[in-house]
Amino acid sequence: MTTLLERARRVPSWQFTLAGALLVLGFLMVAQAAAEPSRVQYTSQERPPLVATATDLQKQQDGLKAQILNLRAQIEQLEASSAGNNALVTSLNDQLQQARIAAGLVDLQGPGVVVQLEDSTQPIPPGAAPGDYLVSATDLRTVVNELWLDGAEAIAVNGERITATSGMTDIGSSILLNGAYLQPPYQIVAIGPRDLYDRLTTSANFARFVKARVEGYGIQLGAGALDKAVVPAYAGGVALTYAQPAPTAPASAPPASGRTP
Amino acid sequence: MRSGMRSRSAQWALGFVALVLGFLSIVQLRAQAGGVGLANLSAQDLTTLIANLNQRNAQLSAEVTTLTIQARDLQQARAQGVSAVGGLRDDLTRIRLWAGLDPVTGRGVVVECAGPMTADAANDLLNELRIAGAEALAIDGVRVVASTVVAGPPGGLSVENVALPSPFRVSAIGNPINLTAALTRVGGIVSRLQVTSPSVRLTVTPADSLTLPATDRSLLPADAQPRL
Repeated sequence: MTTLLERARRVPSWQFTLAGALLVLGFLMVAQAAAEPSRVQYTSQERPPLVATATDLQKQQDGLKAQILNLRAQIEQLEASSAGNNALVTSLNDQLQQARIAAGLVDLQGPGVVVQLEDSTQPIPPGAAPGDYLVSATDLRTVVNELWLDGAEAIAVNGERITATSGMTDIGSSILLNGAYLQPPYQIVAIGPRDLYDRLTTSANFARFVKARVEGYGIQLGAGALDKAVVPAYAGGVALTYAQPAPTAPASAPPASGRTP
Repeated sequence: MRSGMRSRSAQWALGFVALVLGFLSIVQLRAQAGGVGLANLSAQDLTTLIANLNQRNAQLSAEVTTLTIQARDLQQARAQGVSAVGGLRDDLTRIRLWAGLDPVTGRGVVVECAGPMTADAANDLLNELRIAGAEALAIDGVRVVASTVVAGPPGGLSVENVALPSPFRVSAIGNPINLTAALTRVGGIVSRLQVTSPSVRLTVTPADSLTLPATDRSLLPADAQPRL
């Protein structure tokens, strides 16, 4: 026993360090090898081409959005400098600018809030549904709807502007908004009254949300007031296939405040 | 001398091990990080995503075409010194209609909502109609815009400070077949509500001609400003 100890003492310390490092190395190699089979399985199945297709389509979508924003900027300039009866052209351009703002086609800035939601990191108890520990489209809609009720004027989630035709739905563990694939963390940015943050955080709906989702499942929530929130323009189509102007629509458009009371 | 050599070779060995260790750690971390995003979607989810992306990209391409033609027409009008007032008017009509600033008419569906529906369920219904491609929405004569939210307790729902009667009607302009299918599919809102609130009845009826009013809201912001 004593000889063993003495022998151990004679072993240089670097050998212990090396042994330690080799132990970790061995562990990592086994972990790597253990992780391998599932990946091999993936590559032999249908997933990789699907992932590649989806990735390509996402890139294509980003390109199309950039093109739309570019063309809109170009058109706005051309319209502003177009020939014709000067007073009429000026008036139409004013109305166009107001309509664009109302439609969500213009970047806006102003006082506001940011709310960040992220999936829970809590261990999932046996028998529980893992999906409950992820941020869902319903979670985002709950916060977004409360922000509207609190007087928000413009809202975007991860840079996707919420418009009159925007729907939000779950896909796998992520969310589709305006046909764009969003991934956590989700940042909801809203512009509104100076006290928007207080209105949000003191609302009954928000308190219910915090209790149910943050306290209940560990959904990670962060919120703060912003002096200068920026909500980008909607980079999507405004084409209507089924909806036509109603025959009662006035020939000359009223201001962008909608139907005159 | 000997011990010096030994410690030199030991340093090489340690250095090498550290290198491999670092490499493997990064590979391992990457493999885990890759789990976020597309890589952890099932084949079925990926198929759904691809269908959605294809549909959306087709819409975006169509918009690019429309805008390209519009820009070209404006450029030609300018080059020829011709008035572009007609083009400006068309653009204005197009944007106002989409924003909800003018009344619209078209085909679609009417959803009659009877019983003690919750505000969440009513907002879910609007969301499902939007996802199914509704181009314009109204609840009992109130045009739905981005900021329109149904609020209040069941039986006391209101929208834009207008109390909703029971039953109330949600009108949506869009493809009646797609809209009906989206609401009445298995797992759609009609079947979900049958389970969660059996006393609520949703009746979906296709309509050949619906007319929805313009919004009463001022959509011009008071707190927000265009970003220059």
